[in-house]
Formats: sequence, structure tokens, C-alpha cells
Amino acid sequence: MLTFQSVILGVLLGGLYALLAAGLTLYFGVMRVVMIAHSAFLILAAYLAWYFHRETGIDPLVSLVGTVPLFFVLGVAMQRLLISRLRAATLTMMSVLLTFAIALLIEGLLGYVFSGTQRRTQLSYSGTSLDFFGARVAVVKLIAFGLAAAALLGLYVLLKASRFGLALRATIQHREAAQLAGIDTNRVAGYGFGLGLATAAIGGTALALDTTIYPSLHWHWIGPLMAIIVVGGLGSVPGAAIAAMLLGLTQSLLQLPLGTTWAQTVFYVALFATLAFRPQGFFGGRLAQRF
Amino acid sequence: MASEPLLELDSVEAGYGRAALVLRGLTVRVPPATIVCLVGPNGAGKSTALKVASGLLKPRSGRIRVNGRDVTGEGPRRMLATHGVAHVLQGHSVFPEMTVAENVAAGAYTVRDKAFVARRTDFVKELFPVVAERWKSLAGLLSGGQQKQVEFARSLMVDPSVVLLDEPSMGLDPKTAGTVFDQVVRMRDAGTAVLLVEQNARRALEIADIGCVLDLGKVHIEGPAGDLLANPDLADLYLGGSARAY
Ligand SMILES: Nc1ncnc2c1ncn2[C@@H]1O[C@H](COP(=O)(O)OP(=O)(O)O)[C@@H](O)[C@H]1O
Ligand SMILES: [Mg+2]
Repeated sequence: MLTFQSVILGVLLGGLYALLAAGLTLYFGVMRVVMIAHSAFLILAAYLAWYFHRETGIDPLVSLVGTVPLFFVLGVAMQRLLISRLRAATLTMMSVLLTFAIALLIEGLLGYVFSGTQRRTQLSYSGTSLDFFGARVAVVKLIAFGLAAAALLGLYVLLKASRFGLALRATIQHREAAQLAGIDTNRVAGYGFGLGLATAAIGGTALALDTTIYPSLHWHWIGPLMAIIVVGGLGSVPGAAIAAMLLGLTQSLLQLPLGTTWAQTVFYVALFATLAFRPQGFFGGRLAQRF
Repeated sequence: MASEPLLELDSVEAGYGRAALVLRGLTVRVPPATIVCLVGPNGAGKSTALKVASGLLKPRSGRIRVNGRDVTGEGPRRMLATHGVAHVLQGHSVFPEMTVAENVAAGAYTVRDKAFVARRTDFVKELFPVVAERWKSLAGLLSGGQQKQVEFARSLMVDPSVVLLDEPSMGLDPKTAGTVFDQVVRMRDAGTAVLLVEQNARRALEIADIGCVLDLGKVHIEGPAGDLLANPDLADLYLGGSARAY
């Protein structure tokens, strides 16, 4: 029964991983940028949700109304003002350094404003859990999962069924051909970046519901997320989602026999295995072959 | 041949970044419903010429005109949507993770008129049967020749007045290349002017109306394609062997 409990928790965690990995995939897709600061923005959003709740007493989910647009605009600005200034030849490498610096900056700011104290959102329903075929699942975890799943579904529909989605995918898959089809690829790349950061806003709010947060928490997230997008085949949103689910599940299942720290290594084992046997990623990834 | 050119590159100079100029006073004229073929050695600047013509690359000097109108410095979106200049890149340029249908739809990205898009879709499906047959397939899974036809179809969605084709036969087996050349002729016969760049110079000149030999960023010889084919000096220099052998 504990195994079943782990499976449920793994799926719930995988949903959050999948949403965040989709964001990383977008940055890489539109700009070939490795966005180290993604998880720092995640924690920033979690802090904003926690702070919003503490100050107003309103449910932290409501903070999404502010953080999603804010992060979207921040993402667009970041692409326009910073990333697009980097020289094409060294862009990926320089983006690692640049976004590493941004991650440190956010961590420093959070420490400065909110101190290094661990924070936890206390909600009326924090302690409630549901009985799910014998597994006990905290309601906050279900809400977090529902939020991530809804956001991922929305992203999928946007990419697959809208004119903007067509332009975004074209920009990711062949930038010059997209320009020749009349697509303003710079603008589209900016919006792609904004969308990526919006996933961090949603993920951060979900995280704030059931996790203790502190400024340096983002370092625990970035490694697994990077591993997920490589295993999923850089640039493939469905690939990243599948890899996220599988790895989230595996991590959760290994937590009981191996403990938290060792369970985390599943991401790095999967990363090494991917690089050794199938560098283009296991899912999708025709795109990654070109880089 | 005396008709007003549809597309004109006039004394164009262009290059990449701070490197030396690639095009050094290039002049090319494409009359309506004509295939103009640009041949020349590797690195002569043929692809660069097409990039200037479609707005991907801004010239340092010289003018670009469409129907006599100066369009120098305009970007690819306006060149396509307003001036009817479409460009099919060298190598593979389908969107590989999209279906053939989505690739074709992307070609009409700048067109809002749904009825027009529907008509053009029928037109390209008929002109390129492969496009209709593989409509739901991911474009990246098609063979090289099939991908090239999807690219052609995509470029024709706006009903351009001129298409720029950069080495469309590259990497194709002779039979497939033959199909592709036939389709270039059919595009011209359907009323679209073509500026064709080819390594396979002999085959290209056979279907072209006008030939231009480009070397070191300039046109050195220009004339009816048949004359170029028959010119023994040219054959030795640029067409890989003497025309007298034929
Ligand atoms: N994106 C680029 N950046 C820098 N130099 C380039 C680029 N593309 C082409 N070149 C250079 O411009 C010259 C002409 O290239 P190109 O127009 O592709 O020739 P062709 O198509 O005739 O083979 C070559 O010397 C090539 O190295
Ligand atoms: Mg070329």
C-alpha cells in the first residue's frame, strides 16, 4: 500500500516537474538558452504567493492573478533586453553564465527581503487529506497537481491550436524558414520566453501550497529539471512532459528504500544514460539532433 | 525578354558582419513568368544574393526593386506579404515536427482571407500530389525530395509573383531531381517567376529561360539559357566539361 502511495505522490510531483520542464523547453526552443534562473523564479513566485497570503489572508492561489502576467512581462523584457543582446555564436554558453547570475541575484534578494528563515504557508485546509483507494493524499498536493496539469493543458492547446502557437513552433523548428513565412521571430521568441517564465509563476504558487521554502531552495530544482529536458529531447514539450512524469514517479518510488538524497540521483543517472546512449533524447528530439 | 523586370537587384553590395563583401555590384533582373538561373562556383554568393532579394539580409548598397518599386531594406515579412517574393532555402527547411498540413498553413501565416487560403491549399495539393498524400504526416519523416515539395507548396501559399529557389535539387537522386525540375517548370507555367540557384548547372540551364554566371559576387555572363549551354568556354569553366561532348 505504501508503494501505491508513492505512485500517487510521484504522479503529483511529476505534474509539477512537467510544467516547469515545459518552461525550460520553451526558452531553449526559442532562443537556445539554458535558463539556470528558471527555478529561482519558481521560488520567487512561491515567496510572492506566501507573502501575499500572509499579508492579506487571501488564498495564495489568488496571487496567480498578479504573478502570471508579471512573470510573462518579465520574461519578454528579459529576452528583449538581455538575451537578444548576446552574440549568436556564443549564446548558449553565455546564457548559462547570465542566467546563473540572475539566479544568484534573485536568491540574494529573497534572503535580503525575507531573510533566510524557512517559510511555510498555513492554510485552513493544509492538514486535510483525502483517502484515495487506500492512499492518503494531501488536498494541497492535489490542488498543486491540478494547477500544473491545467496550465500544461492550456499551454498544449495554445501551441497546437492557435495561430500564435503555429508561429512559436515554426520559430523553434526552423527560425529562418519561419521568417520567410512572414513570422516576426524576434517578437515570437520574446513571447515564448514570457510563457516560459509564466510556468515558473504557476509552479511557484503550486509549490507554496505544500512546501517549506527558503531562498536557496532553487538549487534543488534546477538539476532535476535540466536532466528532464535533456532526457526528453531538448526542445520537445511532450518529450519533456513524459520524461518528467517517469522521473518524478521513479524518484518517488525510490524515496522509501533509498531515502530522499539518493532518490534524487535518478535524474543524474537518467541524464548520463541519455548522453551515453541516446544524446538526442528519448522522446521527440529530432530537433536536438541539429544542435 | 525586353519586358519590365518583376524583380531587380541593381548593383547590390552585401556581406556578413565585418567580413569582406560577398556581393560586389550584383545586378540580376527577373522578368515575369520566367525562370532565371544563377549558376556559379561554391561560395560565389548565390545564396547570399537570394537572401538579399527576400529581405533576410540587408544590402550595404545598391537597390532592390519589385515591379519597379524600390523595396530596398524591407524585411522578409513585407517582401513576402506585400511584394510577393517567396524564398525556399538551401537544404532542408520544413518544420520537421509539424505535419505537412501545418507546414502548408504556416506558408499562409500572413494571409487572413480564409477563402483565399482554401483555394491556394487546393492549388498546391494538386501541383504537388505528395503534399496531398502525406497531408497528416510529420514533415520531418518525409524523404528529401518530398520535403522539398512541401517547401515549394509552403512558399506558394501566398501566390507569390516570384519564388527564389536555392539549390532545390541538392542531395536528391537524379530521378527525384528530375521531378523537382519539372515542378519548377510547372510553377513558371502557372505564372510565377523563378530565380533558380543551382550547382547542377547544366540541368538547371536546360529548364531556364535566362542564365547568369556569378563569380566573385558579380554576374560575368548573362544571356538566353540555351546560348550559355552552347558556349564551349562556359562549359569548360562552369558546367563541368565541354558542351561539345553532347
Ligand atoms: N551566415 C554567414 N555568415 C558569414 N559568412 C557567410 C554566411 N553565409 C555565407 N557566408 C560566406 O559568404 C560567401 C558566399 O556564400 P554563399 O552565398 O552561401 O555562396 P553560394 O551559395 O554561392 O555557395 C562564402 O564565402 C561564405 O563563407
Ligand atoms: Mg548556397
